[in-house]
Amino acid sequence: MSWPKILDRHQSLWFLITGPTLWALHFCTVYAMTAIYCEKLGDEAGPLRLGILGVTLGALVLIGITAWLSWRQWDYTDDWDYEHDGLTVEDRREFIGHAGFLLCVVSVIGVIYVALPAAFVGSCV
Amino acid sequence: MRWWTFIGSKAMRGPAATKAQQGTADPGDGTTRHDMSDDRIVRPRLRQALCALALATLPGCSGVQHVLAPAGTDAGFLANLFWIMLAGAVVLWIFMNGLMVYVTRINVRQMSPKKAEALIIGGGIVFPTVVIACLLSYALAAMPDMRAEGTGTRLKVTGEQWWWRVEYWPEGADAPIVSANEIVLPAGSRSEIALTADKVIHSFWVPALGGKTDMFPGRETRMSLEPLEPGTYRGQCTEFCGDSHAWMAFNTVVLPQEEYDAWLENAATDAVAPEGEAATRGREVFFAEGCGACHQVRGTAATGKVGPDLTHLGSRTSLAAGTLPLDEPSLIRWVRDAKAVKPGAEMPAYDHLSDDDLSDLAAYLEGLI
Repeated sequence: MSWPKILDRHQSLWFLITGPTLWALHFCTVYAMTAIYCEKLGDEAGPLRLGILGVTLGALVLIGITAWLSWRQWDYTDDWDYEHDGLTVEDRREFIGHAGFLLCVVSVIGVIYVALPAAFVGSCV
Repeated sequence: MRWWTFIGSKAMRGPAATKAQQGTADPGDGTTRHDMSDDRIVRPRLRQALCALALATLPGCSGVQHVLAPAGTDAGFLANLFWIMLAGAVVLWIFMNGLMVYVTRINVRQMSPKKAEALIIGGGIVFPTVVIACLLSYALAAMPDMRAEGTGTRLKVTGEQWWWRVEYWPEGADAPIVSANEIVLPAGSRSEIALTADKVIHSFWVPALGGKTDMFPGRETRMSLEPLEPGTYRGQCTEFCGDSHAWMAFNTVVLPQEEYDAWLENAATDAVAPEGEAATRGREVFFAEGCGACHQVRGTAATGKVGPDLTHLGSRTSLAAGTLPLDEPSLIRWVRDAKAVKPGAEMPAYDHLSDDDLSDLAAYLEGLI
């Protein structure tokens, strides 16, 4: 069982890459869904838009969870510390949490922008 | 003297400066830089050249091929979008530079970390995110209207190298009315335009009427345009497609609905018989030279489909896909050596024809109205 390793968060880069990776996966999924649906299933994009909404909500929830975990690792409200350039384990852990949280914020913005066209464009044509 | 040495010399004082200004400064590598006066001459010349360039581009701010002189619904929206974004950019530029001047010149003091943080998060993340989301939503909301299906004229345009094959499909028609190198559209209604290409990718764009759409071999794309102002507007291929890409243009003639109906009625008819001796002789030259193997003139034995349809060539406003005006000298020039006008054009040169033959041929072609 490797779960206790979570205590060694200062050694793990997962929080840094999870948000942007989910953003990238969301982009690829929406792109592929749209291409296949419009090519094979016709011009009216109602079901496709629902699908994009579902995928987008899923991505936002997963990024939100990552952001929450990163936020906790950053531990900002404990000491209101946003400088982590020391050589301690705490600095390293909080830096990774801080950077991971900010990358999640960017990923949320990216995911919303990627999905935005589906909110306005109702057909494949 | 290089520009950085020139800038540096402004700070020079004493003998070094004198030496430099005399153009004898030793850069340390055993060579002598050229005289600084060259830079003093070049710099004003550069400024003059830039000013001239700016002036030369000013006429582009109006005319028949300009996105900011819209004559249709779609181009009007795109022009508005440009001005809105430009206004936003100007406001943002002034605000950011004003802020920079304020904190570095007017109110120079340390900012508390909280204020600095608020500035970074508010000005660096929240503000641009909201502004871009608003602009994106504004543009996206207009897309369905701009891609709405045409309700009036339907036509199909095929990108060839380097001209445009145009087919009009009136409602209920079994076969199209074929034309080339000019689009005629009615004002006040949305026309549906199907687009495809023969061998390579092209792109169809009439800046004064709307956005552009790519044309692909073996695939049909579509767009619709709603011209509002009658007039003639220039279109251009906007995807590099070979030697004469730059010469692949066309005129779009927008007519009031009644005039358009009359035009379409005429376009559907066969070619008129030549009038006058020159045109009649020109017709003989046309068939003797085998022009009909590549070109169609409906109502005659010329049924070629390789090149542009010439049935109503004389009624068009340009020759060779917007490259030349439609007049006798241009027709002669084109027939004599098309490649000299349009590199890579497939039409062979007819430079063996006499001036009289070419003139007669031009008279025949001009008479095809």
